[in-house]
Amino acid sequence: MKKAPFFVGYLPVPRDLRVFLWIICALLVVGAGAAGYAVGSTQDNPGDGAFRFDYGRQTVTGVIELTPLPLLHVTEGNDRIPAGRTLMMTAGGKAGVPDRAAPLEGQLATVSGVLLERGDLDMLQLRGGQGGLRAAEGDAPAVTPEPLGRWKLTGEICDGKCLAGAMRPGRGLAHKACANLCLTGGIPPVFVSTQPVEGAEYLMVTGPDGTAMPDAAYDRVGQFITVEAEITRHGDLLVMAIDPATMEVSD
Amino acid sequence: MSVKYIPVQWNPNKWYYDAALLAGVVLFLWVFIYLTPGALGHDRPINPQIHNARAFGACAFLMLTVILCIGPLARLDRRFLPLLYNRRHFGVLTCAVALTHAFYVLNWYFAFSATDKYAAVLEANTSYGQLAGFPFESLGIFALLCLLILAATSHDFWLKFLTPPVWKSLHYLIYPAYAAIVGHVALGALQDQQNLTFAWIVCVGAGLVAGLHVAAALKEQLAGDYEGGGGDWIDICATSAMTEGYAKIAQLPDGDRVAVYLNEGRLSALSNACAHQNGPLGEGKIINCLVTCPWHGFQYNVTNGRAPAPFTEKVPTYRVRVENGTVMVHRQANPPGTYVEPVPLPSAEGAV
Ligand code: FES
Repeated sequence: MKKAPFFVGYLPVPRDLRVFLWIICALLVVGAGAAGYAVGSTQDNPGDGAFRFDYGRQTVTGVIELTPLPLLHVTEGNDRIPAGRTLMMTAGGKAGVPDRAAPLEGQLATVSGVLLERGDLDMLQLRGGQGGLRAAEGDAPAVTPEPLGRWKLTGEICDGKCLAGAMRPGRGLAHKACANLCLTGGIPPVFVSTQPVEGAEYLMVTGPDGTAMPDAAYDRVGQFITVEAEITRHGDLLVMAIDPATMEVSD
Repeated sequence: MSVKYIPVQWNPNKWYYDAALLAGVVLFLWVFIYLTPGALGHDRPINPQIHNARAFGACAFLMLTVILCIGPLARLDRRFLPLLYNRRHFGVLTCAVALTHAFYVLNWYFAFSATDKYAAVLEANTSYGQLAGFPFESLGIFALLCLLILAATSHDFWLKFLTPPVWKSLHYLIYPAYAAIVGHVALGALQDQQNLTFAWIVCVGAGLVAGLHVAAALKEQLAGDYEGGGGDWIDICATSAMTEGYAKIAQLPDGDRVAVYLNEGRLSALSNACAHQNGPLGEGKIINCLVTCPWHGFQYNVTNGRAPAPFTEKVPTYRVRVENGTVMVHRQANPPGTYVEPVPLPSAEGAV
């Protein structure tokens, strides 16, 4: 140690030390590149969810139902979204369409926008104003949800829009604040169940007895949980009214 | 060493330092941002904003890890001292990289909402009572604020203005900041990753920082504490342990460190803390009768602790004596700049 070359910042570096420093610098720079590759190339696959701009704008007509978040039971569809489908809807950004849809409850409406799709999950992002959602002429058929009983499910509450592909990745704990922000904005929450219910892996979440998802559930967004819920079939979509008292973190 | 606020000026070493620093950062970001998307082979790419946020975030974490390793490394092996020399530039660049990470996050996850994005980042998740799902963003914000304070006060003006002890304690903020960043990463990004590469890098990095600090502290304890009895004269080392031109460092009962030098066969003692930034004077060397600080090269006359004119810095001196082959220092420091007659080292008498 006594013999170690002595460095003073403003003086030329002694020769032995210079070699040492060049080696350290080279190691650090090469190490930085290697670390960039190691971290960057091992990120998880965010899934195949995406905005389907390639499908073009979708315009369909159907009956508005409030769960309380609005659903559209398609009566007049197109190739992509046939009659009989039930659509969850969102506005642009982190906002839902409850305020725009509420006045049309039980009535026919024409909606238009771009589809978000991830596997079996989809959601329509409506255009702004009348072009995205407007009353349609005609008599609206009644929609009757079919109760499927009480279930105990394990999975994760997500915001349906990011999950469907608005963000990649769009679920999990790192994404929780973003998901909460979407949900408070009125975007439908979606439960990703580990066990399909009647063939469905994705279920829309509400609170009990026609209420919105309870505040207590926000603490559990993005987490792997077990919860009991009354499940009802709304057209081809399952809606689960969770009982917040039964919510448990699962491992 | 200087009468101005810019005592440490640009010099070639600083250019090399900054060039290597920039090269490392640019290479990391370039590889991460432009090279890895092709290597990932996902059906659909990760959103570029998220990919970039991750690149800058990981880069800031690694930079801070390296910064915090430099200090103990230099204490363990003085050849690393030059890396310490310009560490402030490293810190400021880290702050800029971390800030870029924050902007990507803010303008992606917290944008597109009716809520103001700055409010959203604080309000969207308030699950402070739980570990899984904890609002890890708040830890990142805390760390970023620390880095901003440190970067803003990094200039020597602030060092003078706040005085070195206050400045130095302020800059210990780097430790809570690093702890917060480890928590930020552990409770955020690592929660969802199935691939464990980054988790390993974080563990090894944080472990290295902790391990090196412990090792350096142990080494100093073993080497530096020759505290004898409770008297006023403190044992430093055997006379035979002294080396011409260098010092022995020891900790005094009040926690201050003293550096005892052997210069031309005679012993003198100064406070170990440089008046510039509390650099370890005792790890410096005597050049032309002047103790030279290893950090930025401030110099002090070994007999009176005064910087040579026109500079005005002073450090405290100590009285020295030799008894039964042991070098001893009086625990009471003299006021900075007090002359103390050097004490001849018995065994070296006549030899130098
Ligand atoms: S010269 Fe800067 S700390 Fe000593």
